[in-house]
Amino acid sequence: MDCEKVRDRFSSLWEKELSPFEEKVFKEHLSSCPKCKREFEQFEKTMRRLHSVGEVEVPEGFLPELYKKIEEKKGAVPGEKSGGRWFHFPLSFKLPVQAVAMVAIVFLMLYLTKMMPMEGDRLKETKQTSSPLSVQEKPEGALTQREVKEERRALEPTTETPRPKDVEQAKAPVPGEEKIEQAYAPQVKGEVKKVETPPPTSEFMAYRQKESKGVAKEITPSPQAGKIERELAVPEKSFVASKPPQEIILRISDREKGISRLHELVKQFGGEVVTAEGDRFLASLPTSSLSEFKKELERLSSSVKTDQLLAKKHARGSLGFEQGAKREEGDEKSKGPAKLAAEMENRTIVRILLVQE
Amino acid sequence: MTASPKIQKEIIESCKAGDGKAFAEIVLHRQKKVFNIAYRMLDNSEEAKDLAQEVFISVFESIKDLKEEIKFDAWLTQITLNHCRNRWKYLKRRQYFNSDSLDDPIETEDGSMPRAIYDPSDNPEILFEKKMIQQLIQRGLLELKEDQRELLVLRDLQGFSYREMGETLGLPEGTIKSKLHRARMDLKEVLERFSH
Repeated sequence: MDCEKVRDRFSSLWEKELSPFEEKVFKEHLSSCPKCKREFEQFEKTMRRLHSVGEVEVPEGFLPELYKKIEEKKGAVPGEKSGGRWFHFPLSFKLPVQAVAMVAIVFLMLYLTKMMPMEGDRLKETKQTSSPLSVQEKPEGALTQREVKEERRALEPTTETPRPKDVEQAKAPVPGEEKIEQAYAPQVKGEVKKVETPPPTSEFMAYRQKESKGVAKEITPSPQAGKIERELAVPEKSFVASKPPQEIILRISDREKGISRLHELVKQFGGEVVTAEGDRFLASLPTSSLSEFKKELERLSSSVKTDQLLAKKHARGSLGFEQGAKREEGDEKSKGPAKLAAEMENRTIVRILLVQE
Repeated sequence: MTASPKIQKEIIESCKAGDGKAFAEIVLHRQKKVFNIAYRMLDNSEEAKDLAQEVFISVFESIKDLKEEIKFDAWLTQITLNHCRNRWKYLKRRQYFNSDSLDDPIETEDGSMPRAIYDPSDNPEILFEKKMIQQLIQRGLLELKEDQRELLVLRDLQGFSYREMGETLGLPEGTIKSKLHRARMDLKEVLERFSH
């Protein structure tokens, strides 16, 4: 038996598991090999020490402390149990609930993914409306803003109708006009409804038609009115002539005869010709005789065309009346004292345009 | 070191049914064994007490799952060893044992010197010889691998039979014997190193 095999059997010899023959061979080797003998002595020493180690007593209060710990755990149990209760439910209950939850999550995701782009579009729209370059487009938000701007513009006491780009500038009130407004406001109040509002220029009308096409129920000019606007688009120097409350186009074949007849008619109806600049006349007539005056002009003219739109506005109780009245307020600011005096006497200013055929 | 008397099957069944008295009886019968295994494995009385209590809490919570009452002791030892392994890992991570390692040199004013372990066999007349031997063995056990320590504790300190060890560790007796012999030889080497 070699040393390796002998050393492997130290435990077996210690536990007396070797057969008598094996034990004899083992002991013979130990007596002949001092190295293995020493090793076995160390091994025996270790085993004796190991087996001499006694048991340690359990510290006092072991069981009460154990009960205390169990009670503490029980106190924490309800929360744990409620969380873990789910795992004890049968699959027949858990699966449908989980399926419903999954469907709900999918719907929620779809809803959110659909909603997000719309929110983005809305933001874009809002940005577009805030941009001055987007006036050509007609999104709903922009349209409402445009309407508001136009209303504001209608209320502004400006002599010229502002272009879209000038809207902001037009909003600023002119100091001189303000003073006039303050000075004549009490007097004008009673008369203001009778005064015709100035027609918008053809350029502005074209713009408005473009802007409010099919959406806003703005005052839409008739084709006839449009024609008149274009004809009157020539800038006028006189501020009185530039703000005529009512316009009549007199189409005549003989100019001189027509002018003399016009003067006669004005005098006949108790009025007077305020200004006469070429083919444009501004006449002041009593309001009561205005209709008769118009009829006479119709007879005189081969074709007399009055501004239907303005006539409409002039009619009391019409939808556009209030707006018209407001515009008239603005017009009042720029009127001269003679004109105001005429109005105080219940007169109407009529602008007559002679067109030779 | 005498083997603990077997716990009656009825007590285990009563405990499974939720009988508190039966549980207390099991604790009283097995607390020393569980505490001593824990103490030899961890070399700390407080840790061993806490661990032993945790073991009995586990028994209290899961004894209803025990199918074969006859294997209660093997089951209890398995729970104890599992708790010891986990606690050992936990304490080692926190360098609990490193601060007092036997291999660490002792720092003195003149520099560091190797730690000398007192060997009581050199002075047999000393009054606390037995206590010194216990300390030496305990230190030696901590120097071994965990599975080697388990084998020595179960067989040489707790007196488990090879059959019981086989049941507990799930190993064949031959494997246990060879592993145990290797653990004893390693402990011998450690103790020799301590004395030099």
